[in-house]
Amino acid sequence: MNTRRPVAAALAVAGYVVMLVPILFVVVTAFTAGSTLRFPPEGLSTRWFEEALGYEPFLTALVSSLQLAALATALALLIGVPVAVAIHRGRIPGKGLVEGLFLSPLIVPELVVGLALYQQLMIGFGLDSLTALTLGHTALMIPYAVRVTGASLALADPHVEEAARGLGASPLRTFATVTLPLLRPGIFSAALLSFVTSFNNVPLSLLLQTREFRTLPVTMLDYVQQSYDPMVAAMATLILAGTVVLAVLAERTVGFAKIFGGINR
Amino acid sequence: MTSAAEFVGVSQKFGDFTAVDDLSLTIAEGRLTTLLGPSGCGKTTSLRMLAGYSRPTAGTIRIAGRDCTRVPPERRDLGMVFQSYALFPHMTVADNVGYGLKLRRVAKEERRRRVMETLELVGLAHLAGNRPKKLSGGQQQRVALARAIAIRPKLLLLDEPLSNLDARLRVQMRAEIRRIQAETGLTVVLVTHDQDEALEMSDDMVLMRAGRVMQQGPPREVFPAPANRFVAEFLGYENFLADAEGRTLTVRPENLRVAAGAADADAPAGPGGLLLRGTVAHIAYRGADLLVTVDATDDTGAAVRLLCDVRGGAAEGLSPGGEVTVDAREGALVRLPD
Amino acid sequence: MHSRKSALLLVPGLAFLLVGFLVPTLLMLFSPPGTGAAEVFARLGRMLTDPYDLRIIWRTVRLGLIVTALCVGLGFPIAYLLARSTSRWAGVLLALAIFPLLLSNVVRTFGWLVILGANGAVGQALVATGLVDRAPQLLYTELAIVLGLTQLFLPLAVISCYSAVAQVDPGLDEAARGLGAGRVRTFWSVVVPLSSPGIVVAATLVFAGAVTAYTTPYLLGGSGQRMLATQLYAYSSVTVDWASASATALVMTVLVFLVSGLSSAFGRKGATA
Repeated sequence: MNTRRPVAAALAVAGYVVMLVPILFVVVTAFTAGSTLRFPPEGLSTRWFEEALGYEPFLTALVSSLQLAALATALALLIGVPVAVAIHRGRIPGKGLVEGLFLSPLIVPELVVGLALYQQLMIGFGLDSLTALTLGHTALMIPYAVRVTGASLALADPHVEEAARGLGASPLRTFATVTLPLLRPGIFSAALLSFVTSFNNVPLSLLLQTREFRTLPVTMLDYVQQSYDPMVAAMATLILAGTVVLAVLAERTVGFAKIFGGINR
Repeated sequence: MTSAAEFVGVSQKFGDFTAVDDLSLTIAEGRLTTLLGPSGCGKTTSLRMLAGYSRPTAGTIRIAGRDCTRVPPERRDLGMVFQSYALFPHMTVADNVGYGLKLRRVAKEERRRRVMETLELVGLAHLAGNRPKKLSGGQQQRVALARAIAIRPKLLLLDEPLSNLDARLRVQMRAEIRRIQAETGLTVVLVTHDQDEALEMSDDMVLMRAGRVMQQGPPREVFPAPANRFVAEFLGYENFLADAEGRTLTVRPENLRVAAGAADADAPAGPGGLLLRGTVAHIAYRGADLLVTVDATDDTGAAVRLLCDVRGGAAEGLSPGGEVTVDAREGALVRLPD
Repeated sequence: MHSRKSALLLVPGLAFLLVGFLVPTLLMLFSPPGTGAAEVFARLGRMLTDPYDLRIIWRTVRLGLIVTALCVGLGFPIAYLLARSTSRWAGVLLALAIFPLLLSNVVRTFGWLVILGANGAVGQALVATGLVDRAPQLLYTELAIVLGLTQLFLPLAVISCYSAVAQVDPGLDEAARGLGAGRVRTFWSVVVPLSSPGIVVAATLVFAGAVTAYTTPYLLGGSGQRMLATQLYAYSSVTVDWASASATALVMTVLVFLVSGLSSAFGRKGATA
């Protein structure tokens, strides 16, 4: 950081402290040997990791969350990529309006959508938890698929697809051999973002939980409310480790900043 | 001359905008035809309709005698080179060139042979395994050309193929495209806004403006006899003046001669048919020549500003504000049809 | 894809959006089970006059504004320094600022429990210095919520500002300096105005996020410092008061739509000015 801009540098340092230091505290606490959330930690041990990995509700919820995130991501891409193609390559009237409609789930508060699905679909229609969660998460992830893959379509030279047609490829063949390979980085970014967002989601999932199907973040929230031991810190540290792996993977493949470039208008 | 393609009364409207207006045109077999004009004249739209990327709002397009107006691009068997080259970034050079052959189910060995043969024709056989991104602009252009001709198309269509190259390479590629055409015997349609390119490369040139044909014919017929003021201006006839009867005359700057001193008022015009007195307004030094701007009065008494391209030695005695006499080289003065 | 057939590609998406989002949301807002739109609006009217409800709405808006100011105030300098830095560490620092966006809100917020809790770092440190005898109540306060929400949304502010500042030609900074403007003056008269669209985007995203966040006020505010989101949850899950839940949801939704509308109006004005 630049020492010739002391005010800006001081504010920036404060910003990094607020963003990152709490995460460090989670990690440090996870390795405590004591049995309460206390700082400084009492001794060093990995006992809370063992506890967390042996705690049945966390493990069940972890599997549920992974399932839900994978399902919602796959569905959102399956639905969202054709929409992006139609918007950027097709001839449809009112493109701006159509795009706005598909991005609208981003504007309505997630908790509000969660309440709506809970009240109307689960109570009203007797839908089970997994179906309601899948519907909600997919609807929420569609904007990511549309916008991120749309961004890489907007950047690609549309003449490339015309060239394929001119060389004798049918529209379907052109999509499979040219459009789809060009979209690969966009699809990868969208998949990563969707998966992570779905996996971490609380507000949308909150009301759609049942005893039979619970997601990990909500299970952890409930646990924090009931007991004050460092097991959640250990679980949180494990999630952090997983996220770091995913982030490194993202950086190696498409580049970190690019992934967020698409979603941020 | 048999026709390789024909436009019959073709129009293209985008909303209120008419891009191409009742175009009728014949592309002669085995020749290189250029569509020439400023941006927005409808030349690229015409090419895209010929290739099938855009369907005309009226009229018929025939390729090799068959009505193709409603045939999609993949069933027209044409080779197109895009201005942006539009190479498939995820394929090697060889796979780009072989793409059309693969779609035509050419067997693997035969495909390989034809890809290499075509790459040799454009001088890029040594780069077959590279990705397009690693290639220079000129090389990418050759790959695009190879990809288009590998399928042995009925027509080769080139949309401003040289506009993204630097000046020297552009001049090289003009000759290169002519050589490839001669070797393959292909009928070529080339779109350009560059009159030098069109003059140098064309067998036939078609000058367009606002979706209509302004003049067409071989360069050697069109250049010395522009049919109207637009064509004249576009081909570099900078000077327009009226003769005693009020008819429009035009002459190129390099065909005007400037001499210091005013000629006698009743001196007869020379063999060039022009003799005007004026004063030098401005002299621009351009290295090999000077561009002299002269304010004069034409035979109707109207003020005209003449641009005269003067070679080194002939500029002696010229200075801004000085009186001069301007005359034209023999046969250089063109009378535009009314 | 040069035919109207491309509209067919939208059909599955539209169907999904209707069933999984639009229809349930509209029904919930305006026609919750057992009651109707009239009841929801009556409840909404009472909510806007009732001191208890008003306090929650006001707290939500107030904390939202404070968090927005903090995020822009801290995020813009980070974005500015990173965008103008030639150091090879700038990329790493940018990645560090973006990374938290991938990390679970529960994980990120949990850290504050360790810092602000009864036996937490700040309390213990204060006691150790002898300034206080007992650790002060830090958790379940508005301060805790503000810290938590700032941590949560600061990365969003950083990337929004970064993409805006990165587009401002550094040559303009140099031009201003060359014309005699100092570093500070250049910053305020060139960099800030030219990146204002990014600042508006950042402020909008942060505010909309802060007034609808659930995890942070739940973990750090508890039941004493309710915000709209935690209140909405209580109405839907604890008291099952559908009319109140819908009215609260309406307030939240309108609040978000209002700032989004204002922000895009500003964007349009900026584009035509």
